[in-house]
Amino acid sequence: MNSNDAIFAQLATLGSSLVLLFGIALLWRRSLVAYVRAFRWQSLALALVFALIGYFGHNRELYIVAVILVVLKVIIIPGYLSRLYERVGGKREAQPYVNVATSLIIAGLLVSLSYSITRPLAPVSKLPTRNGIPLAVGLILVGVFVIISRRKALSQIVGFLVLENGIALLAALGTYGIPLIVELGVFLDALMGFLVMQILVYQIKDTFESIDVEQLSRLRH
Amino acid sequence: MKFLLLLLPPLISALVAYVVRPYRAVVGWLNALLSLLSLGAALAFAGHAARGAEAPVFGPGELLRADGLSALLMVCVAAASTLTLFLSPGVGTETDYAQTQLRRYQLLINLFIFSMLSAVSANNVAIMWVALEATTIFSALLIPLTRDKSSVEASWKYILIGSVGIALAFAGTVLGYFDFVALTGRAENALNWPVLLRNAPAMHPEVMKLAFVFLLVGYGTKAGIAPMHTWKPDAYGEAPPALAALMSSALFAVAMYAILRWKVVADAAIKDHYADNLLLTLGLLSLAIAAFSVAQSRNYKRMLAYSSVEHTGLICFGLGLGAAGVFAALLHLVNHTAAKSLMFVLAGDIERKYGSSAIKQARGLLTVAPWTGGLFAAGLLALVGLPPFGMFISEFALFRAGFAQHHLWVRGLMAAALLLLLVAFVSFITRLNRMLYGEAPAEVVAGETASWRVAPMLFGILALVALGLTLPAPLKNLLDQIVRIVSR
Repeated sequence: MNSNDAIFAQLATLGSSLVLLFGIALLWRRSLVAYVRAFRWQSLALALVFALIGYFGHNRELYIVAVILVVLKVIIIPGYLSRLYERVGGKREAQPYVNVATSLIIAGLLVSLSYSITRPLAPVSKLPTRNGIPLAVGLILVGVFVIISRRKALSQIVGFLVLENGIALLAALGTYGIPLIVELGVFLDALMGFLVMQILVYQIKDTFESIDVEQLSRLRH
Repeated sequence: MKFLLLLLPPLISALVAYVVRPYRAVVGWLNALLSLLSLGAALAFAGHAARGAEAPVFGPGELLRADGLSALLMVCVAAASTLTLFLSPGVGTETDYAQTQLRRYQLLINLFIFSMLSAVSANNVAIMWVALEATTIFSALLIPLTRDKSSVEASWKYILIGSVGIALAFAGTVLGYFDFVALTGRAENALNWPVLLRNAPAMHPEVMKLAFVFLLVGYGTKAGIAPMHTWKPDAYGEAPPALAALMSSALFAVAMYAILRWKVVADAAIKDHYADNLLLTLGLLSLAIAAFSVAQSRNYKRMLAYSSVEHTGLICFGLGLGAAGVFAALLHLVNHTAAKSLMFVLAGDIERKYGSSAIKQARGLLTVAPWTGGLFAAGLLALVGLPPFGMFISEFALFRAGFAQHHLWVRGLMAAALLLLLVAFVSFITRLNRMLYGEAPAEVVAGETASWRVAPMLFGILALVALGLTLPAPLKNLLDQIVRIVSR
């Protein structure tokens, strides 16, 4: 491994750690404003990782992806999210099902778990970015945990967006980016999925007069 | 050319539905007729593949491809779509929906059909993923058509669970591609299924195992394999009946298709029965959960949803049982598509008549609406696997494939599955009995919904009977061709 690769490996791990850290930030913050801010920073860090891999991996397509990421996930989606919580109210996450200390311990366990399940990948890959892969899988698991443990529909949306960022990170680190046409399809789906969730939040607000998903328990047997 | 004939009609239908406002019945009729074009193209693909000809490809980078497996799924999706479009609200019947709702319905359901057809004709497994994700989006928008509390709740649960599932499937796709990149470097066509399969034997089994678990959990969530099935009764129960029919028949088939595509690649890479064993385990779990949920169900739509979970389990079983099992599973998939696309429409008609989807309210069905009741009974008897319906044959073939296996534990699993089927059978029959006979509530007016609707439904039932009596040669050839692709 030459020195260029060594620097690249260091930077990639650093970037991935940042992306993961912003994901875990959701677990100790309560206000939706902080959630959106954390998501925005996370997406920015993710875009930087993409640009980094584009630079060291000599793949110009990744610059395009990074730019789309910034436009979509740093500007457009957080903007919509802010407007959403201003309109439907409920700026603070109610007491989550799991308290902060336990959440953080669980997040730690999830990241350790992801190190053990990604062990078969390590000897296969010769990419300098491979050290970041467990962090990406960890972020995916943390995203799922946020969705399960939060009570407000909006927090669940942010959890889902974080999960998507985790998968994008995994794709970038593991494969230096999937083909551009696929990447564009994924972005389109992400945006549409987000917009549909937003529509549903408005409908939940209209019909239930609250966005606490505790209320969504009518359907049984 | 055939690809255009397959994929353009639903897009044109969506466009027509969008442009014509307010909704008029002629739009519904036009869209139903247009879907016949798609069905024709799908049948042409199937005929082509049944003769064992080379799979046609289309577009830049061989974007679309129709081998036997794709062709079978195209026929399933297109046939179920045609049936449900003819039986949609606002097509030749009075309806409770407002005109804006009908317009939205026609727009979204055609986009939904388009995404399903794209998913089965995509050559690239990541494009297939994109199309499957799009099905979640369009159906989640359509479930709360009436905006009442139950449907909004069902839709929220559906999109959340569905999106997480499909995201995990994408992680699996990336992991599959990861090994490919490590092997041969980046390549534009690497995610095309034939290329993936060709290179699969050189991939690392350990990596492929990890990828397949993600894919099975992800697409399994879409297919409603237990324990990822929890959205099913809610979504099927609350969606507009025609959408529920399409989701439980066509969308389910497409999700199983995605699993099967990846299973072929995984088998080639892993070289032992890892994927088979996973499918058998989850299949048994699905059967168990379905059997006990049916025994508790008090709502006939949710009961039908648990029947879907049951058949999901059976098809998982078949896919894990080698060549004979795959043959049986695909035949079962065809039967299930025919039966389920009717049942939810009929359930919708019954609910409209009785104003409730509770089993104890819907009594005296045979006196209130003999045709609707009779068809519902025939469909349910087909679903529990009684002769002379097709599912009897496919379940028989499936269990024969299972009991022919060498491993003792597989035969034990099959025996357990048979027992669970029996439990479900008893629950279904007692519930059907309660609905068919007895005194109807006084306020229910006797009469069928619309007499002409009986014709397409009868056609579906007759197809099920035909499949129970013979196995048509073209279908057998097509299934043989698919088995040749899938289990080598």
